[in-house]
Amino acid sequence: MVDLIGNFDFLQKYDNRVAHLAAQAERYVHSDPDAALFKLRLMVETMARTLIEMQVPELVDAELSVMLRSLQRSGLLTRREADDMHAIRRDGNAAVHGYDSTTPTAMRRLRDAWRLSRWYAKIVKRGAKVQTSEFKPPLPPAEDASQRAARLRAEALEEAVEARRDRTREALLLFGDQDDITAMRWRLRGELRALEGVAVAVGEPIVDADFVALVMAMDLEQILEHPSWGRSSQDAKADVEAQFEAFKAAHGEAEQAYLQERAKLAREARGGA
Amino acid sequence: MSDIDLDLATTWFLAARTMACGGDEPSVAEEAAAGLFARAILGLDEESCIAAKHKEHMQALTLIDCMAMAGKLPRGTADQVMTGVMMIAYAAASMQPLQVRWASMLASAMDMNEERFQRCCVNARVVASMLPHEQEAVGG
Repeated sequence: MVDLIGNFDFLQKYDNRVAHLAAQAERYVHSDPDAALFKLRLMVETMARTLIEMQVPELVDAELSVMLRSLQRSGLLTRREADDMHAIRRDGNAAVHGYDSTTPTAMRRLRDAWRLSRWYAKIVKRGAKVQTSEFKPPLPPAEDASQRAARLRAEALEEAVEARRDRTREALLLFGDQDDITAMRWRLRGELRALEGVAVAVGEPIVDADFVALVMAMDLEQILEHPSWGRSSQDAKADVEAQFEAFKAAHGEAEQAYLQERAKLAREARGGA
Repeated sequence: MSDIDLDLATTWFLAARTMACGGDEPSVAEEAAAGLFARAILGLDEESCIAAKHKEHMQALTLIDCMAMAGKLPRGTADQVMTGVMMIAYAAASMQPLQVRWASMLASAMDMNEERFQRCCVNARVVASMLPHEQEAVGG
């Protein structure tokens, strides 16, 4: 059946192992979405391992999230690819940990994997021209009315959750996807240079540039050991940890609610309780 | 979304972007740290963060506007904003002359003395030291 779909056939000449995992995911996307997501996660891990061997070989045995962060830091992974890889990692992990998945989730990640595959092929075969046709979603098998209704509800849920995640992401990022960062950088640096000229002309303020540079260069332990700072920095750490935890908990609760709703729809689609 | 939240979000993102742009190409660490700081520490909601970063809204503002808004912030909030701005430098583990100038300008706009500024820097280092782990929240 997979040969009839073949969205990932082009990948065989670049990385046979990755192509094989992708083809398996493609085959399972309707019959077993959990297995499809598991295969896609493995595919991303295999891609990341190959890339990390090229960039940071000492991290080759690290966890996937660590490898992805390192690849992002190195600049090899752009924001778009990193987002796709993290999404596959997240949904693959959920499937591995027993959360029932639905076909719409697996299909969305399959499409992400296809987009990643084209990018990956260009990276591993430096500058290769990768020719592919458009992504063709594998066709669903025959389904009865209740299965179809459950699938449509799962698709609607998936849409809503992806929209929510996009919104969270948009709120968190320093620059938007549409921002021209180079132009913004040029403008802000120009303004800073102009302000620098004014500061020199009117005299330095209380917290002058030399003082900022000095504090920046100070060793943290030196500051923390100072009687004026020791206590407050401990409090600060506790406060910050509590605030981060509260944010993560709220974020986690929303994801948990989605996973449970999705598991319920997956059981309905299978004709279960 | 209140006007107060939008003003704070605008001040924060403009100040943070300026700090990030004052150095080398903004890194992933700086990008992730800024948004997480806005949500977790400044307590801004998603709506305010998105509205503040709207292209037309941001383009209409200069750094003089940013300093004027920073000067109107309550003392505790101003300290938080300065902490976040310095956190960006610590997260990148470097600070270039234009970034030093921006920190100095912002501190003056907030009428900050050396002691307050130094306290913000201590907090910034504490927060920055926690970031590699916390970035997971952005990746999901």
